[in-house]
Amino acid sequence: MDKNKTYYIKKSTKNYRAAQPTQTGFSSPATHYSEPRIDLNDELVKNASATFYVRVVDESFSDFGINEKDVLIIDKSLTPKNKQLIIANQDEAFKIIKIGTKIETEFHVWGVITYVIKHAL
Amino acid sequence: MIALVDCNSFYASCELVFRPDLQDRPVVVLSNNDGCIIAANKQAKALAHIPMFQPVFKIKKLLDDNNVVCFSSNYTLYSDMSRRVMDTLKIFSNVIEEYSIDESFLSLSHYNNDELDFIAHKIKDTIYKNTGIPVGVGIAETKSLSKMANKFAKKHLENNNVYVVSTEEKRKHLLQNSKVKDIWGVGKKHTIRIEKTGCKTALDFANMDVAWVRKQMTVIGERLWRELNNLPCLEMVTLAKSKKGIGTAKSFGYKLTDYGLIEEACSYYVSEIADLLRQQKSAAKQIQVFLTTNYYSELDKKYNNSIVVTLDSPTNSTIKLTQEALKALKQIYKPNFRYKKVGVNLLQLISEDQIQLNLFHTENKITGKRVSKVIDVLNSKFGKNKVKLATVGNREKQWALIKEQRSPRYTTQWNELMTISKNFK
Repeated sequence: MDKNKTYYIKKSTKNYRAAQPTQTGFSSPATHYSEPRIDLNDELVKNASATFYVRVVDESFSDFGINEKDVLIIDKSLTPKNKQLIIANQDEAFKIIKIGTKIETEFHVWGVITYVIKHAL
Repeated sequence: MIALVDCNSFYASCELVFRPDLQDRPVVVLSNNDGCIIAANKQAKALAHIPMFQPVFKIKKLLDDNNVVCFSSNYTLYSDMSRRVMDTLKIFSNVIEEYSIDESFLSLSHYNNDELDFIAHKIKDTIYKNTGIPVGVGIAETKSLSKMANKFAKKHLENNNVYVVSTEEKRKHLLQNSKVKDIWGVGKKHTIRIEKTGCKTALDFANMDVAWVRKQMTVIGERLWRELNNLPCLEMVTLAKSKKGIGTAKSFGYKLTDYGLIEEACSYYVSEIADLLRQQKSAAKQIQVFLTTNYYSELDKKYNNSIVVTLDSPTNSTIKLTQEALKALKQIYKPNFRYKKVGVNLLQLISEDQIQLNLFHTENKITGKRVSKVIDVLNSKFGKNKVKLATVGNREKQWALIKEQRSPRYTTQWNELMTISKNFK
């Protein structure tokens, strides 16, 4: 075991078993092919206990393509890499910062933005 | 080895995760109804001249003068943050005893002793990074020692919130520098008794004659003595015990004289605790109802009374329990008092499947199992109290407690998310 890495204890995997047939006549030809529907929680949230959601309430961050009413998915467990967007705590306020760009003032990483849920209506 | 991981000023820390702008200010969290202070961060604790255990209205001016930030308690948030901390701990061990909302014992027997210092820091850093909650870690051979190590780590800043009792010297150092009253589970009475024999430190106690300990403090004291001497006696408890009593009593938001409103509050509390009762698959033999006026008020006439009803057969039906509670309430209610609080306790709990019906019992369709079950299923699907008894009414706003300064439920409500903007405050 690599000491510097953290490991999660594996939970039971998804149930891929075919659903009980509901057709009363012919059995479904899809019986052995059915799969569970896509679940966004599984796809977008890799570490649920470190994931937080933040809502953007004005146009201050439109330079990053992030607009009013968008919701950010943030994973605090990640260590930010170059060019990634983070939420940072700077001068006692939350900011969005792109790692790698020149920043004058000191900041603390609050979490890494993993996905942006756009408000499209 | 066993670790005790304990969150630092947990409730205040939860608030600060989402309000880093308050990081350097004194922050306190108030109890239900904003009655008194139940948590304070380091900066608030440093204000030693404020009597933190006084009712808030008495120290309100002092708090304001010192620029203290007050939050009403937001248990929804604290419970979710606690869940996050506990889940993150699972990275390090799969034997975890959740001791309370903010502390857990972890079995670390799968690590070598020379790894433990590293692991202790790793636990602290990972929890802080993933959840934003600062924790202290104490590691030792026994639960009692790890609890003391944790306390010691937090008290002496040079330890950086981590203390690992990995050697005999470190055990002695810990015990030498802890007082008798700091030993986990030693109360005031025993502290006096032990100190009378000339013991000053926890180490003196650990070096005492075990025969004396057993005679004066029974087997419980002996267990403690052994634990301090590196002999594990307390096992990890990984399954929650069923509670032996369940109760709730929250102050009203306003002083109430109207019987109807008190009745509605009482019904509401019964439905809350009956739900808990069914969740743990228990039934109650007795129900207690109490009613009280403001203890602190010098203006109001004081009155309090309580009544215990033994049910004809144990039950966990909301309907049956509400009927009995309201009958009891009627008996103790006196008009013309300004009431502050009504409370309900369920006593003498037994397992649901141990219910012995009395000789003349016939299964009642209304108070039977099925109705409760349907209510539970509907409420778990559509939200708390969507289906309720009519006695609960819908005037909750007129009696429910006031949470004036409650923070948003950032992690459980989609419309209360943390927000970010240019002018964040």
